[in-house]
Amino acid sequence: MTNLSSPHATQPSPARRMVLMMALLLALPFTFAVQSAHAASPAEAFIDQNVVKGLSILGDKSITEQQRRDKFRTFLTGLTDLKRIALFTLGPAKRTATDAEKAQFVDAFRDFAVAIYETRLSNYSGQTLKVTGSQTTGRGDTIVNAMIIDPHASSAADKNLPVAFRVSDDGGKLVVIDVNVLGVWLAIEERDQFSSFLGDHGNNVGALVAHLKDLTAQFRSGAALPDQKQQ
Amino acid sequence: MRALRGLRVLLLGVSLGLPLAACSTTGGNPQAHDPYEQTNRDIFDLDVRLDRAILLPTAQAYNTVVPGFARDGVHNFLLNLNSPVILTNDMLQGEIGRGGQTLARFVLNTTIGIGGLIDIAGKIGIPYHDEDFGQTLGVWGADEGPYLVLPFFGPSNPRDLTGDVVDIAFDPNTYISYNYKFYWSLGRGVLSVIDLRARNATTLAGIERGSVDYYASVRSLYRQNRANEIANGKQDVTNLPDF
Repeated sequence: MTNLSSPHATQPSPARRMVLMMALLLALPFTFAVQSAHAASPAEAFIDQNVVKGLSILGDKSITEQQRRDKFRTFLTGLTDLKRIALFTLGPAKRTATDAEKAQFVDAFRDFAVAIYETRLSNYSGQTLKVTGSQTTGRGDTIVNAMIIDPHASSAADKNLPVAFRVSDDGGKLVVIDVNVLGVWLAIEERDQFSSFLGDHGNNVGALVAHLKDLTAQFRSGAALPDQKQQ
Repeated sequence: MRALRGLRVLLLGVSLGLPLAACSTTGGNPQAHDPYEQTNRDIFDLDVRLDRAILLPTAQAYNTVVPGFARDGVHNFLLNLNSPVILTNDMLQGEIGRGGQTLARFVLNTTIGIGGLIDIAGKIGIPYHDEDFGQTLGVWGADEGPYLVLPFFGPSNPRDLTGDVVDIAFDPNTYISYNYKFYWSLGRGVLSVIDLRARNATTLAGIERGSVDYYASVRSLYRQNRANEIANGKQDVTNLPDF
């Protein structure tokens, strides 16, 4: 089951689907529970198993909210290769950034990603995730296809939303390196944002790090929507 | 049909934005197919301001005043009106099976579903899908061209813009004469926009908060999602970038 803060639209018009997709990009990440035992490949089993793990954290009533957040953070950082994702999202700037800048960026990206997902934990309302199959990318990665099933959706169309996980074998350890919702790859979308930001700031990775830290602080403080582009 | 296409672009361009005036950038982004980025960002800023001033408050009032079941009915009704355009594009893409689904949905929802107010077809397992002539052009191999942001209508590109215009010709409403047609068409368009914005007000606020560069985010989302729609969700994963 995946916890999604999906709105309650009835049918996915183009715009509706886009909205759902964007919502899922924020809300999806790894707060899910598995619905079926479909596990035909190691990557599929990996997703299945971690879905169960994620759900157990979300549904654990014996721990405090803070403990749940801490456990989920540990779970999320173990499930994904956030360093690899972060360096990918840095785009072309990765080639020119110093090691120190990369390290700072990776830390800021990790905190940013976790902060976003933590804000969504309270929205879990019984959505499930069903693994439906997998395919290879030609780069050694596996795309695990799945369906988010929302029992609260007001239409049949919204009850089943396609998602996919890009799973990579990192020296024998499987990790998620990207998530796709309705055709949009999250890491690619982040890379596009960061590349644009860096283009506006002379490829100053430090400026991006500072901006990510600001956003992270705003997320954690529950601050109102900031005027993020008034820089 | 036209109303729903406008819905999509309005959603993306008007409803999603952040103040971007201070963010205007350099002369284009080749990777993003955005040679007119400076102008696009300025227009995006205008769209955002219009959203904040007019559309969002209207949508919030709509959510407050109109009960949920009525909003769902309106939503279903608006989507049902788009069926002829979807069916035409299904056929132009050679998607006979999907065309059958669209036809069945239209017949069922228009009759048993009381003019489209109730999604009977969806309840019995005939899901909604969208098609438009922009997608049809994509299926036929047309390139998207440079990314564009239109005043009032948001993200687009020459292929989708052409599709928007052609889809008007696929809508039976274009050819039917009746009293108060202008007001009907205007109402349909306005209601479509309000419906979409109202259904996603909370979600969109959250998306805004998570964006480092909201203009670039919407551009990426738009382009990736359109590519996925053209592929009917069956994307080629062998060309994904290396991590």
